[in-house]
Amino acid sequence: MNDINSFLSRLNSTINFSTILPEIILIVGLITIVITDLVNKGKNAIFLYKIFLVSTLVSMGILFYQLISVIAFEDLYTNNIFNNLFRFFILICSFISVLLSVDYVLCSKISLAEFPLFKISAGLGGMILSCATDLITIYVSLEFLALSSCFLSGYTKRDIRSNEASMKFLLMSGASSSSLLYGFSLLYGFSDGQVQLDNIIDKILFSQYLPTICISAAFILAGTAFKLSLFPFHQWTPDVYEGSPTPVVAFFSVTSKVAALSLFTRLFRLIFPYLSNEWHIVVELLAISSMILGNLIAVTQRSFKRMLAYSSISQIGYVMIGILAADLENGYASMLTYTFIYIFMNLGTFARITLFSLRTGTDNIRDYAGLYMKDPVLTFSLVLCLLSLGGIPPLSGFFGKLYLFWHGWKAGLYISVTVALVTSVISIYYYLKIIKLMLTKTTNPVDTLKTYEKQKSLVSSVISTKLKSSVEMAMILCALASTLSGLFMDPIIKITRNTFF
Amino acid sequence: MNLSELIHEFILALIEPGILVGSIGTVSFINTANSAFSLGLVFTCISLLYFALNADFIAAAQLLVYVGAINVLIVFAVMITDQSVSSDSEKCGIGYFTALGACSILFLTIVCIFHKLNDFYSSSIHQSEYLKLNLFEQNDVQNIGYQLLNKFLVPFELASLLLLVALVGAINPARDED
Repeated sequence: MNDINSFLSRLNSTINFSTILPEIILIVGLITIVITDLVNKGKNAIFLYKIFLVSTLVSMGILFYQLISVIAFEDLYTNNIFNNLFRFFILICSFISVLLSVDYVLCSKISLAEFPLFKISAGLGGMILSCATDLITIYVSLEFLALSSCFLSGYTKRDIRSNEASMKFLLMSGASSSSLLYGFSLLYGFSDGQVQLDNIIDKILFSQYLPTICISAAFILAGTAFKLSLFPFHQWTPDVYEGSPTPVVAFFSVTSKVAALSLFTRLFRLIFPYLSNEWHIVVELLAISSMILGNLIAVTQRSFKRMLAYSSISQIGYVMIGILAADLENGYASMLTYTFIYIFMNLGTFARITLFSLRTGTDNIRDYAGLYMKDPVLTFSLVLCLLSLGGIPPLSGFFGKLYLFWHGWKAGLYISVTVALVTSVISIYYYLKIIKLMLTKTTNPVDTLKTYEKQKSLVSSVISTKLKSSVEMAMILCALASTLSGLFMDPIIKITRNTFF
Repeated sequence: MNLSELIHEFILALIEPGILVGSIGTVSFINTANSAFSLGLVFTCISLLYFALNADFIAAAQLLVYVGAINVLIVFAVMITDQSVSSDSEKCGIGYFTALGACSILFLTIVCIFHKLNDFYSSSIHQSEYLKLNLFEQNDVQNIGYQLLNKFLVPFELASLLLLVALVGAINPARDED
């Protein structure tokens, strides 16, 4: 007993447990899900989803409490506002994406129990990635996130496109994480064996070994740009997004991007401050090409999910401007605000697509024609979310983009902001194309809308009324956040302001 | 050079061609089973290299994990799948030359880094500190165990959760649905 006591007291001095309490709650939720599924032998699977939702909510509550009272900390985790905000974002993403995925998984008649398991583990990986300051923890949590995402994308195993998507995702994420690891090994070697990010900065003689640090930066950029799907590393995004089941794509498009953003910002801000001119130019180039490529190719797409994949590539291009424009008085406020709004816009759009594909089974943009006649609520909310993505006032997407571009212009990134404005106009074109298609009457009789009626009755008889409202709850939440966040912009900016480190 | 350094150089000169031959064999054998076995040769030679670098725990772990588990799995997988007779379509198209160029640039990068590392580790300040560390009397395994539960506790526990999720995820696509 004496040994255990001394061990626990030494443990408590190295890791302050109250700071990782949200993650511990998620881990407890994960283990509870596994054990409950084993005990129940596959029946009553909705209970597992409830466990997931409860644990995420409790975790969010504790994180909120910690956000208000910032606890200073050491070693493996630092607890500044930047990291906490990202953990909060990832929890929001997990929560809303599970809300909108329950119906889909029930309908497709695949086993229900592993889905919340993978979602919790991916959320956990993302959360630990947001506050790790240690090369080893960063790598393990990144692999955790990537592996769980890969399993999620291959979840509907009867669908060939889903198999192809998860295969591509696995191979390319393996290649990119090996490149990241090589960059890390160079940092480890040249800083004489240090693994903590702060100690690496202390010990590396930047002036003497500049070419090697540049090479290490290039490898780390290649590794993280894959997760962010920046320009030359975006090849996996459309195929994986088109093949995976829709709620999984919703989860990917926000969680892994948010986690990768926090990793990218921390690594490049902490380790390579001497190289800031060089990597600024490279990242600016990548951002400009992502914006141009994403928006131009999205115009020609015929599948809704693929179009959203290309549009998310361009959104990341905009967010990169926010990273480059960070300065002392405003911190990363523009990037954080836009990320917050982007989460709700994207999840809202995917919620409506999930509902539509549950009712009609197609993903083609042409089949959305005349939706206004059949389901005005769905049409109206989809219009709101698409306009917010495009950046039309008075929705919150406009305010987010305005702040972002204003910051970028103030920081001197004139070319990037000009390109971003032009490509925003192009993006408004393809969003409005879809809206026009939905709102106008069709001339030819469309079969899909006939099956719309049949499916709706089938679905509503299978699922209990309590569940059917979970997607709608997610929809309403995202719609409200997409429109009203614009009004509450000031407090959000004030919170995200002192995040410079 | 005294005798111990000479023996060290000799052992390294034996191991390194083994790695080279094994890796060339892995990529260029037509029969996939031969490729899998030469991959086993590469892993064994790397573990011998770890022995020569005085990292005994890592060498044992490499032998157990890579050779004993991963390579055996690869050989099983290769032998279970059907071997179609591969055609000799060795077209030297543009993809071939692009890949050749990219790989040679990568190789030159790595060689340049090795030169810099050589400068780094042979500077006199570093050598005196290195001798002070007195590596030969430390107990490797005990040290690793201590650090795993103290300094690296979070990645260690996270890796165990990762194993759990990987197990569930590997069985999930492969099992029978009723």
